[in-house]
Amino acid sequence: MTAPADVSALSVVGTPVARRELAEKVTGRTRYTADLHRPGMLHGRVLRSPHPHARIVRVDASAALRLPGVHAVLTPEDAPQQPIDRDLRALEPLVRFAGEEVALVAAESEAQAEDALRAIEVVYEPLPAVLDPEAALAPGAPEVHPGGNLVGGKPLVVQRGDVAAGFAQAARIFEGTFRTQAHAPVAMETRAALAEWEGDRLTLWKTSRAVHASDRPLLARGLGIPAERIRVICTAMGGGFGNKDETRLGVLTALLARKAGRPVRVEYSRREEVLGGRNRQATVNRLRIGVRVDGTPVAIEQRSVMDAGAYISSGINVNRRTGQGALYLYTCPNARYEGHAVYTNRPAGGSFRGLGAPLGHFAVEVLADEIAAALGIDPLDYRLRHHVTAAGQPGTRVTAPDALLPDEPVEGGVPFSSNALRACLLVGAERIGWHRRRPDGAEPGERVRGLGVAMGTYKGGAGREAEAELHIAESGRVALHLGLTDVGQGSATVLAQIAAEALTLPAERIETVMADTARTPPGHVTAGSTTTFSTGEAVRRAALAAAEQLRRRAAEMLGVAAARLEAGRLISEDGRRSLALEEVAAGLGAELVTRWRWNAGSSTHIVNSFAAHFAEVEVDRRNGHIRVLRYVAAQDSGRIVNPRLAAGQVSGAVLQFLGIALREELFLDPRSGVTLNPSFLEHKSTAIVDFPAVEVLFLGEPDPVGPYGAKALGEPPVVPVFAAIANAVANAAGVRLHEVPFTPQRVLAALKAQGRLVP
Amino acid sequence: MTPARATVTLTVNGVARTLDVEPRETLLDVLRERLDLTGAKRACDRGECGACAVLVDGRPINACHVLALQVRGREVVTIEALAGRPEFQPILAAFIHHDAGQCGFCTPGFALAAHALLQRHPAASDALIRWELVGHICRCNAYDGLAAAVAAARDARKPS
Repeated sequence: MTAPADVSALSVVGTPVARRELAEKVTGRTRYTADLHRPGMLHGRVLRSPHPHARIVRVDASAALRLPGVHAVLTPEDAPQQPIDRDLRALEPLVRFAGEEVALVAAESEAQAEDALRAIEVVYEPLPAVLDPEAALAPGAPEVHPGGNLVGGKPLVVQRGDVAAGFAQAARIFEGTFRTQAHAPVAMETRAALAEWEGDRLTLWKTSRAVHASDRPLLARGLGIPAERIRVICTAMGGGFGNKDETRLGVLTALLARKAGRPVRVEYSRREEVLGGRNRQATVNRLRIGVRVDGTPVAIEQRSVMDAGAYISSGINVNRRTGQGALYLYTCPNARYEGHAVYTNRPAGGSFRGLGAPLGHFAVEVLADEIAAALGIDPLDYRLRHHVTAAGQPGTRVTAPDALLPDEPVEGGVPFSSNALRACLLVGAERIGWHRRRPDGAEPGERVRGLGVAMGTYKGGAGREAEAELHIAESGRVALHLGLTDVGQGSATVLAQIAAEALTLPAERIETVMADTARTPPGHVTAGSTTTFSTGEAVRRAALAAAEQLRRRAAEMLGVAAARLEAGRLISEDGRRSLALEEVAAGLGAELVTRWRWNAGSSTHIVNSFAAHFAEVEVDRRNGHIRVLRYVAAQDSGRIVNPRLAAGQVSGAVLQFLGIALREELFLDPRSGVTLNPSFLEHKSTAIVDFPAVEVLFLGEPDPVGPYGAKALGEPPVVPVFAAIANAVANAAGVRLHEVPFTPQRVLAALKAQGRLVP
Repeated sequence: MTPARATVTLTVNGVARTLDVEPRETLLDVLRERLDLTGAKRACDRGECGACAVLVDGRPINACHVLALQVRGREVVTIEALAGRPEFQPILAAFIHHDAGQCGFCTPGFALAAHALLQRHPAASDALIRWELVGHICRCNAYDGLAAAVAAARDARKPS
């Protein structure tokens, strides 16, 4: 594809504009949901189940209601029983995990509400619980939901070609089982909601990544009132990472406020955020790759079992994405992914940065290294020979043109819009000094060093319905109205830059109004690295449409045939006369509003981002400790709209996942089903001293589909991290790691099992 | 059962305050819920993350880990007041230039800690800067920007 003509000379896109509202954030002026107060507001607290599976026989709140300051208690009897999600009701007389919501209290202060929780008497009838997905699939296992524990009743199967025929052609077949453990998203801001009723109309302020696409319809279902009577606002988000909704919080807060007759704010504690939020699911991935004598892949097959926890929420998408590496990353005519999402009585899983992609890529990229090692091929060379190219997979396209976006095809014959994987591999290798790499386990001694590489691919944004609205007031004020949330990734800044580029204005001239159902057009969920690509193009088109109207009006005002827009001025063709944008806006006679809506993507090309990561580590063979010495992240996200924000996002993504790779894990007591470490201290998030500064490289060319050539950025950099570290450890110490996180215990066990302990 | 109450007199951002509190109320509860000073954030409520940092008699502490009763007669400064001081301006400028915050929830705590550490160690090494900030968690992991910003603020504040 060829690049569109309008990207030749850009003045705002591609420049390091400062993050919008960062000064307000630094100085504490930004108001997040839990920072909001309303007159007469009460504080709500949630009573949670101590049992992983139990019937609620009776809830007696009479003693709680007599305590000072207590205004209302909400129990399952008060909650409407229609589902608010495919397997979720607002409150049920049945709990499916330890920590699940049972009742809520509204009181004058949070402490009074806490006191009241202790005074609520609940009689539980404990039921047999199942805490392991393999056990949950066994005949006779306790059912978490009626209809069996395999979500949807069958596994997800996605394939191209014929893997059986492919394996029949293979000279060698490599296989392995790879495990990834559950961990908590732990955004710094916990979930919070503030509900206020005026008659039968509700205003809900909430931590949200989709006020339009998820909160409002969910509230309408849960409360049984029309969506038009509900306004949802997210004033600011303290981190999302693809998480932060998919819960009952909004509905319960609204029900509690209605019952109390006062505004109510509920703010989750850190412990509740881990228990009642949505965590990253544990997976077991069995991977087989068949190769020709020279290592060329001819068949790739992955079977994944995901512990969905007690509720599926966005686990369907997580399951789908777990196959992304096996299906797309290497050129291979035959590939098959089979994903089983399984209910258990663990806290619910949900979506977290990268969904299943980092989990599946871990298996693919470690096994690729094992193939290369077995065949005596340098792992970088192996990837340079076999990585998927811009041509896509071999074979013939069967998906109809209009079905490309929803179907996410994996067949051959559908090219990528752009693919700079090769440049990422070559330039990244040069930066880390790949030539220094020695054979696996060659270094003697207690502390040994090694280099590792891993690739990643990620689809971002295609298939999303995206909308933007641009307002130019007669005063000249320019405002971008967007339904989506800036969860902290910087979308407000980047989208304002795109509008500014189209209007030839400085970015500061564009105001942004976001995440308020009363003031913004519908917006998609902030998920799947969607925003810049999908809404960015809607912004560009809305702004270009506004520019066109300004040009027409200016020509009339100047009495010329045509005018052009340049640096915020409308100039006659001959260049002799001009008007400021404000003057033309004043001459429009009314506020100019332009809208654009599109179904993001292409009907001819798959739009994916790519990455190649390189790690240098030191492994202490006495204690299994891994130290990361250097990390190079080479990204293809097309044109980078804001290099300053983008570098921070990639660096942050890598550091976040280095912590997950080495440490983060949720532990459940196998007898009680209780989560043991729902806190920062015990869940061990990355701290500022843990890793060296990440070296970030942007190597993409402008993409022909994305706005000004941009592609997805938020999640792609997390995808290769686990495998880059595992492969560097293999190079350093000669041991293969098949389970994330790579804790010292697991590394020691691998050293011992593979005979690589210090003699 | 009516909880006991106590009177606490303290100075917050230069203003003397007398408050009627429950003994179990933390300084963070009082700042956020009674005085509407929400720049100090509640992210863990048990002294693990630094998002609620404030200055008490000039020293940074986690406001969630101190009872209001324990700061009787003390001088508390929150990020809202610190933000207006001249010596804070190089920190603010450096945070913006180096994009030292993404979602921003931990950022006031980091900025306040950066101020305190540069007061104590005007010539802090890059390594010391990181170690002095180790009690603060940023889940966006904007750590590279944070470390660069504090180093830049140190350099800007150095007498030339």
